[in-house]
Parts: sequence; structure tokens; C-alpha cells
Amino acid sequence: MKNPDYPDNPVIRFIGIGGTGVNLVEKLAMIGLQGVESHSVDTDNRSLSNCHQSKTLLLGKAIPCGLGAGGDVALARAAVESDRDHLLRLVSCADLVFVIAGMGGGTGTEAASFVARLAKEAGALVVGVAATPFNCEGSRRGNKAAGGIRDLKQSADIVFHFSNEEVMHITGTEISLNNALEIANRHLCESVLGLSRMLIEPGLLNVSFSDLRDSMTGRHSLGSTLCVEGVGENLAADAMGKILSHPAARMGKALSEATTLLVHLSGGDNLSLAEINTFVESISSHAPDIDLVIGASGTGSNNVLQVILIIVQKSNSKASLIQTNLSKNLTENETLDLNYPENFISSGENSYIGLGAESKGANRVRFAYTPPAPTVETITPEMKDNLLEAAAKQEPNRKKRKEIKQEMLPLEIISKGRFEKIEPTIHKGEDLDQPTYIRRGRMLN
Amino acid sequence: MSNSQIIVGLEIGTSKVCVVVGEVNDNQVANIIGLGQSKSRGVRKGEIVDSSVVEEDVRNAIVEAEHMADVEIQSVFLGVTGSHMRGFNNTGVHPVVSADREINDADIQDVIKNAKAVNLPSDHSVVHVIRQHFSVDGQDGILNPEGMLGAKMEVDVHVVSGRYNRLQNPIRLVSGLHLQVENIAFNGLASSLATLSTEQKELGTLVIDLGAGTTDYAIYSGGVIKHTGVLAVGGDHVSNDLAYGLKVPLGRAEQLKVDNGSAVIDPESKNRMLDLSTDNIVPGKKVNLNHLQMIMSLRLREIFELIANDIDQAGLINYLRAGVVLCGGGARTPHITKLARDIFKLPAAIGRSSTVSGIKNALDEPEFSTSIGLIKFGAFQSQAIPKREGLGRAIRKQFVSLFGGRK
Ligand SMILES: Nc1nc2c(ncn2[C@@H]2O[C@H](COP(=O)(O)OP(=O)(O)OP(=O)(O)O)[C@@H](O)[C@H]2O)c(=O)[nH]1
Ligand SMILES: Nc1ncnc2c1ncn2[C@@H]1O[C@H](COP(=O)(O)OP(=O)(O)OP(=O)(O)O)[C@@H](O)[C@H]1O
Ligand SMILES: [Mg+2]
Ligand SMILES: [Mg+2]
Repeated sequence: MKNPDYPDNPVIRFIGIGGTGVNLVEKLAMIGLQGVESHSVDTDNRSLSNCHQSKTLLLGKAIPCGLGAGGDVALARAAVESDRDHLLRLVSCADLVFVIAGMGGGTGTEAASFVARLAKEAGALVVGVAATPFNCEGSRRGNKAAGGIRDLKQSADIVFHFSNEEVMHITGTEISLNNALEIANRHLCESVLGLSRMLIEPGLLNVSFSDLRDSMTGRHSLGSTLCVEGVGENLAADAMGKILSHPAARMGKALSEATTLLVHLSGGDNLSLAEINTFVESISSHAPDIDLVIGASGTGSNNVLQVILIIVQKSNSKASLIQTNLSKNLTENETLDLNYPENFISSGENSYIGLGAESKGANRVRFAYTPPAPTVETITPEMKDNLLEAAAKQEPNRKKRKEIKQEMLPLEIISKGRFEKIEPTIHKGEDLDQPTYIRRGRMLN
Repeated sequence: MSNSQIIVGLEIGTSKVCVVVGEVNDNQVANIIGLGQSKSRGVRKGEIVDSSVVEEDVRNAIVEAEHMADVEIQSVFLGVTGSHMRGFNNTGVHPVVSADREINDADIQDVIKNAKAVNLPSDHSVVHVIRQHFSVDGQDGILNPEGMLGAKMEVDVHVVSGRYNRLQNPIRLVSGLHLQVENIAFNGLASSLATLSTEQKELGTLVIDLGAGTTDYAIYSGGVIKHTGVLAVGGDHVSNDLAYGLKVPLGRAEQLKVDNGSAVIDPESKNRMLDLSTDNIVPGKKVNLNHLQMIMSLRLREIFELIANDIDQAGLINYLRAGVVLCGGGARTPHITKLARDIFKLPAAIGRSSTVSGIKNALDEPEFSTSIGLIKFGAFQSQAIPKREGLGRAIRKQFVSLFGGRK
């Protein structure tokens, strides 16, 4: 398992699954981390046809033959199972595999955990990276997403998760859909890039792959990556302040509740040990008794302290995914106090983008996210309808299925599974595609 | 065997594409000499949903069968099914016009033609018109009225029809592979031809082909086809129910069904857990055997009940003196005959394709009934037509021998 170009670096693969995953992997591939292979995998030809940087794989050539899963997890499952061999090739001979997907639709929700499991079986360390829907996309999507995350967590070693809804808690609801998705995507990309950079950035005291492996393998927990830059008089203090105001740190709570923190510091060639010490002391004070792994390098820019922090949560830490609307615990004032948007958005320019500035940069392309152009400007109550409509468009059968459902039985439509896309078998008004035991009201207990 | 003839049956099933090659001698005895199979990937509920993969699957099965039989396949008899297909009875009427009132070939042809002129929806077309009985001036149950005297002749027929476009799909696909489709036949009819003896046809038997995508059935009684039906529910539904209820991937559900399935709930299964932890697909997972059997038996029971209701409505339940014969892959389900006995209150057995000879394995597999039946169907047809003793005779012979069950 050697990276041919950089024999000392671990072999890293980015695998994006479903619309969101493909979108994110394309962004990541554009940044062009050296020696990292990027793959886009979807049941939808339209999303794959937008890929220019990553290698593409169409799942389910037979069914749904490039039309997308339309939110149908059973269809996605059939597709992913039928392409097991192709997927196995994607994940084989890798040290670290990122499985990146948006949860709530069909393909990402179902295929991500499948691919993660294949990668796990092939011997890689597997990091899941998942987006979950806005609340206004509806509870069914939300529930499906929660299930998807649960499955992914079970097969991957760790899952970095970001809820799109979270963006609104950070910025308030007066944000455009474009910007909201952009922020969510940046956050997700940051997780992937921060971790990858930590491993492959040239440096003296790098966090090694085996450190990573030791702290993550078999945890099946959630985690997050934070990338911040300390500037000004006191680099370490500034960086620490930004970490604490980062939503993923939940005002420091996430640090104290973690099992492991992996920290990579990089500064200019004048980065002093004192600076490093100050930072380490300050983070230790927020996370006493926690396994701390530190790496450092002096190949960055002077007068800036770049920090990549990976938080590995306890396996069933209370910071569960459903609870991600972290601000539920926060008062409005506290939310404002975080003053996060400014930090976060401005750091967009230099957080993960800046991180690799020195790494030859030959094939580096500026990160530019162009979300599908929606016609809406800001997320107002009326706009939620539009958002829902947009979601329904992504999932063409959604509306139709609702209608069918209403004529028949008030059952969870998901139980139609394999038969969702074809003519239903209706007998005297009863949809026979639904499991008999459900129609007969039999309980499994 | 100087006059032997190669006849090929092709079933494009939901789970497998199956090609059977038969060698038929002058005495209409079919001998199976080749078999080709491939996993079917583009069929749902018995109908093609993805032509390009189906083409590939059909080609593979054909090639395999050609190898085994050492023949080049040029034409096939094709099985068709799907929820669009309908079976019903109709009566044709015809006044006997000849001066002597003696019924001749032309009269028989005309009355059958009249029976064929059924009132079908405009997008439907006829697949089979199968003669049951003639009646002459009110006298019922005449099998062959030729030469009889009468003024008014009627004929009861069983008609199988289907949506034109949906019947054309598999025909076009097969033709596109440069294989001639000699004729099509309803799968349920083909399966009954393969599995029923003359006595069973006479006494009255219900044949149920439990496929992956559809459940096709046909009733013979008094030596003629009385009733046919399709239920677009099959083994895939069983697997889908299991996948949903046991929360396992569909592929795993299918395997659980085959390995641990049962058509009835075994009291021993209470609280027994199947450990799937050695299984890479679902690590650490356990499933409750009792749940598995309950989900499965409820689905299979429902399938049988729906058929039983249909037969009841047709008033045929008392005509089934030889009971129920099960075929198709679903007939492999343990205790399926017990379930059938419970629901139909009739004896039940697994069908064997005993009315042909040849490769022993093929004859014992319930999945192959349709393809083997297609060979029988083809044998009667192609034997009837080339002789051309007059079209009426040919048709009559075909009907009498094939569907009338008498030699
Ligand atoms: N962060 C982020 N989330 C997205 C983006 N696009 C969609 N989502 C969210 O991800 C969820 C899943 O959507 P997709 O990724 O399009 O779904 P899919 O996996 O392609 O599923 P199918 O289209 O059903 O095959 C949606 O409900 C959205 O909330 C994106 O670009 N960024
Ligand atoms: N041992 C078994 N127990 C239960 N079910 C079985 C067993 N073996 C096969 N089956 C089921 O039988 C079905 C396949 O039967 P068959 O080959 O007759 O179908 P087909 O001809 O492909 O489909 P169709 O005629 O509906 O288009 C599958 O659903 C399969 O799961
Ligand atoms: Mg999609
Ligand atoms: Mg069949």
C-alpha cells in the first residue's frame, strides 16, 4: 500500500457518493492534493456529467440506469450491491478512505455505509463525511438522514458530520440558500482537507498515519475537524479563541468531552517552541485528561499560526447527530457572541485554502463553489416552500409517490423498496407491494 | 429420429433467463437436449424494464444452451407474463349454413373466428384462443362436431389477452437478437403443459407457477383450460418484505429466504436467533427466525388466498379433483405444499416436467417448467402447421391435441 509518488505518505482516496458527495469531491479534487485519488460515484448521470476533476463511476447501470435513485434507498441499495466489484476496486490498496455523502436522499444515504464497509474490509482506515438536510426539507428526509448517519457510523471508523441546518444557527436565517450550502460545503471540505493535510504536509513533527489510526480505528464515533489561523500579537491565543468560537467546538465542550484530540500546528520558519507550548497548554486546559496528539511544522507562512484540530468524540457521546443544532442550548445572545460568521467566512479565504499554499501548488485550483443556481434569495418562511420544491425536484418521484400513497394506505412508502419505481400491484385498492405483515398490522417483537 | 425437429423455449423471467432446447420426434415426444441460463437483471414483475441488460442476459443464456445442445438456435417459443395479461372465457356462435346442415371444417373455423372476436380494450391483443367445448343446437360438451348435423353451433373458448405494447417488448427484444419468435405463450399455460398429465387435466388441477416477479396460474378441468390468471406478486416480494422487516440488504434477505425460509411458521423457531455476525455484509447482526418465517408465511399465504378467491369467484373450486400443482422457484420453499393444502383444502404437490424426457436435472427443477412447457407448446404447433392438411384440420388438431389433452 504505497503511494507511488510519495512513498512515505499514506494512500488516500476521496470517494464522493450521491449528489452532495460528488459535488464535494469535485471541489476537493480541484484543490489538487498531491497523490490523492478522487472518485465520484452516483446513480445519477447528471451529477456525474459535471465531474471534471474526479474519476466517475455510475452505480446501477441496469437500474436506475443513470436516472438517480430519486430518494429511493432500496433502489440505491440494489444499485450499490450490483456494483460491489467496481467499488471494491476503488477502495482496495488504500490506507485512508474518505466516504463523502449527503444524507437524506437515496444514493448517499444508502451507498455511503456500503462503500465504507467495503473499504473497512479492504483494510483501510475509513472516515465518513456527511451532510444532513435543512429542517425545512421535512422530517422524512431528516429521519432518513439520521438513519444514514447511524449506518455510516457503524461501518466507518469515524464520521465527520455537518448539518446544513447548522449554518442557519450560525448565521441566522437571513442567508441565501447558495451561501448556506457554500458554508456547509466549506465546513465539510475543511474536515477532509484538514485531516489529509495533517498527514501529507511536509513537516518535522507530523501527526503520523499510525497516530491517526490508533485514535480512530474501530471507534465508530462522530468527530470534527477544525481549521483556524491565529494572527496578530499572540498567535496561540488568537488561534485558541477561534477554536472555541467554532461551532464544532461547542464553546469548548466538545474538547472536554472528546477521547482524543489530534492537533497539527504550522507556522513560518520562525515558529517558536514557546508558541507551540503556549498553544498546547491552552488546549490542554480545556481538555484535561484527554489523549492529545501534537504535530508541528515550520513550512507555513510567518506571523500566522495555522491549526488543524481533529476532535474524536466518545463512541456514544451525547453530542449526537440529532442534537447538532448546537445552538438549541444557546441563547440568542450567546449565538451572537460567538461572532462566528465573520470568523468562519473570512477564514474561508485562508483556512483550508491557505493551508496548502506552500505545497508546490502546481495543480492547485482555487476553491470555488458554485451551487446550483436556485431562484431564491434568502431563507424566509415563503422560501422554505421553494426549498422543499427544489428538494422535490431532486427527488422526482416524491410528489407522485405522495399522491399514490394517499389513495392507498397510510404506510411508510419506504417499505415498497424494490417496487417503488415500477407499476404498483394494486388489488381492490390495496397496494400489494407493501409487505403483507405490515398491511395485516402484525408486529415484530 | 429422421424427422426430429429442434424446438426452443425461452423464458425471460424476473430472476433468470432460461433457454431449453428440445428435440421432438414424429410422435411429439420431446427430449430435452440443452439448457442455458443466466441471471436476469433487467426484468421486474415479469416484464422488461431495461432492454440493454436483458439483451445481454438472453444472449448469454442462448449461447450456453447452444453449446450444450450443440445446435444453432434460430427460433424460439417465447413465454410472456405480466400484470397486463387477462384470462377469460367467451362464447362464439355460428349458424350452420350448408344445405345439408352437416358441420364441416369451414363452420368450425367460422365459429372459432366468432369466438375470437372478443370485445377487447383497444390496446389489448389476443395471445391465445383456446377451444373448450362445442355445443350444437344446445347440446353441450361436444369435443369434435365435425360431421354432426345441426343448425346452430356454439363454441366456448378461453381467451388470454395482453396489452399490445407490453407483449411487443420481449418480442422485439428477441427479434433484435436475430432470433425468430415463432410464437408466444402465456407462462402459466406453458408451465401447466409441462407439469400436468392427461389424467390431471381431465380430473381438474390448478397449476401455480411461483416466480420471482409474478405468480401465474392456470386451471385444467375436463381436459381443457378453464381459467388463467397472473398476480404481479412473487418471490421478490417475499425477499423485499424480509429485507424491510429484518432490516437487511435485499441480497441478504434473498439468501436468508433460501437458507432459512419456510412457508409456515415452525413453532420451534420461537426465539431462535440467526447469527449473521460471520457475514461481512451485516457484521454483528442477528435476525429472529420466527420473524423471518412469520413475514414469509404471511406473504405466501396471501398469494394463495388471492388465487383461492379468484377461483372461488370463477366457481371452479369444486372442479379441482386432482388438487394443486406447484412449480417455479418459489415451489422450493419448505412446507409450501402444506400451506397450499391448508388454503385450498386440496391435495398439493410439486410439479415435475414428467411429460417430456431428457436431461434429468432440468426436469426436476421447478424453475424450468415454463421453458419446458414452451417446448411442448411449440411441438404441437409446428407439428400441426407444416402438414397443412387444410388449415381447419390443422388448427383443430392443434387445439385438440394441445389444449384438449386428448390424443
Ligand atoms: N452541504 C450540502 N448539502 C447538500 C448539497 N446538495 C444537497 N445537499 C443535502 O444533501 C441531502 C441529500 O441530497 P443528495 O446528495 O442530492 O442526494 P443523493 O444521495 O444524490 O440521492 P438521490 O438523488 O436520491 O440519488 C439533501 O437533502 C440536501 O439537504 C450540497 O451541495 N451541499
Ligand atoms: N429454496 C427456495 N426457497 C424459497 N424461494 C426460492 C428458493 N429457491 C428459489 N426461490 C425463489 O424463486 C424465485 C425464482 O423463481 P423462478 O426462477 O421460477 O422465477 P422467474 O421465472 O425468474 O420469475 P418470473 O416467472 O416471475 O418472471 C425467486 O424469487 C427465488 O427467490
Ligand atoms: Mg442525486
Ligand atoms: Mg417464471
